[in-house]
Amino acid sequence: MSDARILERGYRRYDGPRLGHAHAVRSVIAHTLRRILGLRRPARTKVLPVMSIAFAYLPAIVFVGVIAVLGRFGAKTQARTFVPRYSEYYGFIVSALVLFVAFVAPEALCPDRRSRVLSLYLASPLTRMTYLLSKAAAVFIVLLAVTVGPPLLLLLGLMSQSAGPDGPVAVLQVLLQILAAGVFLATLFTALSMGVASLTDRRAVAAAATVFLVIGAGVVAGTLVFALHGSEGFVVIAIVRSALELVRHIFGDRGELRGVGTPALIVGNLAWTLATAAIAVVRYRRLQVTR
Amino acid sequence: MVAIVRAEGVVKRWGSTEALKGASFEIGSGVTGLLGANGAGKTTLLGLILGMHRPDGGRLEVLGRDPWTLGPEVRARVGYAPEHDCLPDDVRAHDVVRHFAEVHGLPKAEAQTRASDALWEVGLGEERFRAVGTMSTGQRQRVKLALAIAYDPEVVLLDEPTNGLDPVQRDEMLALIRKVGHELGIDVILSSHLLEEVERVSDSVVIVSDGVIARSGSLDDLRGVADAELLVRVDGPGDAPAVLADAIAKKGTKVRVDGTTGLVVVTVADDAVYDVVRDTIADLGLGLRRLERRRATLEEVYLEADSAHV
Repeated sequence: MSDARILERGYRRYDGPRLGHAHAVRSVIAHTLRRILGLRRPARTKVLPVMSIAFAYLPAIVFVGVIAVLGRFGAKTQARTFVPRYSEYYGFIVSALVLFVAFVAPEALCPDRRSRVLSLYLASPLTRMTYLLSKAAAVFIVLLAVTVGPPLLLLLGLMSQSAGPDGPVAVLQVLLQILAAGVFLATLFTALSMGVASLTDRRAVAAAATVFLVIGAGVVAGTLVFALHGSEGFVVIAIVRSALELVRHIFGDRGELRGVGTPALIVGNLAWTLATAAIAVVRYRRLQVTR
Repeated sequence: MVAIVRAEGVVKRWGSTEALKGASFEIGSGVTGLLGANGAGKTTLLGLILGMHRPDGGRLEVLGRDPWTLGPEVRARVGYAPEHDCLPDDVRAHDVVRHFAEVHGLPKAEAQTRASDALWEVGLGEERFRAVGTMSTGQRQRVKLALAIAYDPEVVLLDEPTNGLDPVQRDEMLALIRKVGHELGIDVILSSHLLEEVERVSDSVVIVSDGVIARSGSLDDLRGVADAELLVRVDGPGDAPAVLADAIAKKGTKVRVDGTTGLVVVTVADDAVYDVVRDTIADLGLGLRRLERRRATLEEVYLEADSAHV
């Protein structure tokens, strides 16, 4: 006798709990994270996120590896000089960030408008702003993994090789600096990504626009400072340079730009963050979904 | 009647265009057709019901709540399948339905199960793990319907759900809509410009014409409101229909003879007309072969309502 059974798959009413707005937000964050990272999607969609994350983590792994290998041969001190300072490490991270923001992060916003899934989201308990915040949160979480993870790995790796900061206070200080720098960079580049991606529903256009914006801002700042002999303060216009300079200040290092103080750098970076975030907010407030 | 939607003088403007000019109506349980030509204001009305737009005037209640001020609360209990394609191509049907069930407040495990059940219900049980982009137009429309019912809403709004479907797919979709409204116990508001499909599945109709609610009510009542007529066929000499029509007309009742069918067509002003017809036929000594009340089609109701507002 067969074990086969016919299952009644009839539609049932649902009288259980409805978990509300916060649950909807969490669900969109989780869904967007999967989408950004290419999970449950074709293999080709995983290439760029994996590449961006690898670019950020690989140097840390290499540096710790070098210390470990040279340490075995009693050349730990020489090896330590080979490893960059924490603030210098962000040079590697910013490349991965720009790659991520240009080619991966637009995945959070652009396809929803292109395939018009947005109309389904706005017909759900989400509002325009909670939808946008959920998307920004997902991008921020991934960026945080890129901005905090690698320096943290470097710190832990160096500590495991007895080449880290001396004493718990110094370790805690570096840890806090890593967190502050990571949160700052993730916030800036999340806003940048949302601002650019809110203006187009095509990922390729968003990627090109992001690269253009990052390079263009650098060119404008360079022209103002060097070609037109303007104030060195105009350097804050250059997104990447200004962000890296502020990171140096967070780690208490002497920056490359002697004429630009921490307040100016904070104002410059804050201006970029708020301006690009405002673009996204205004754009989504005015977006016509159905009429 | 328990009102799912209640509107009183609702006005909505888009710039200088007045999309709704004081709409007043009530939508009760069952399947309700929202009928009107393209651009009549149907989609605007659906947007207002979902709380996506703020009315410029009047009062609107959905499930007893103001959808503009209590939008998230209302939308958690309303299903929606838009007119346009709105599904991501590279995501599996089950994943997208499950995700939106979660967004509407269902716990993860429940959303998982109900996504499968809803897809089975619309006939996509075997196809539920296929990417939406590999599906036909008919299948994608079914996914949209599954998505709209998966979280067990109290009412589901379907905007032109048969768009792009061939006749067979259309019949199947209409059967599904009837099933949702009558077997699954979810009230349906079906927005369409196609009279025939609204007539086939709806219990009630709201006719929107140029931003105005031209008619609303149960289908039976609306058909009765339009000029109902009595079709009479009599046995007798060749001029019997004309003789009968003359005799009825002399009693003050509007009547004509259909030259093609030979039927005497009497306008039913009130129930007394039946007595007039019966007595006249008896007085003339004619044989009565057929006496049938012809009800107006929805098309006639619509055209009459539409012309009254042009």
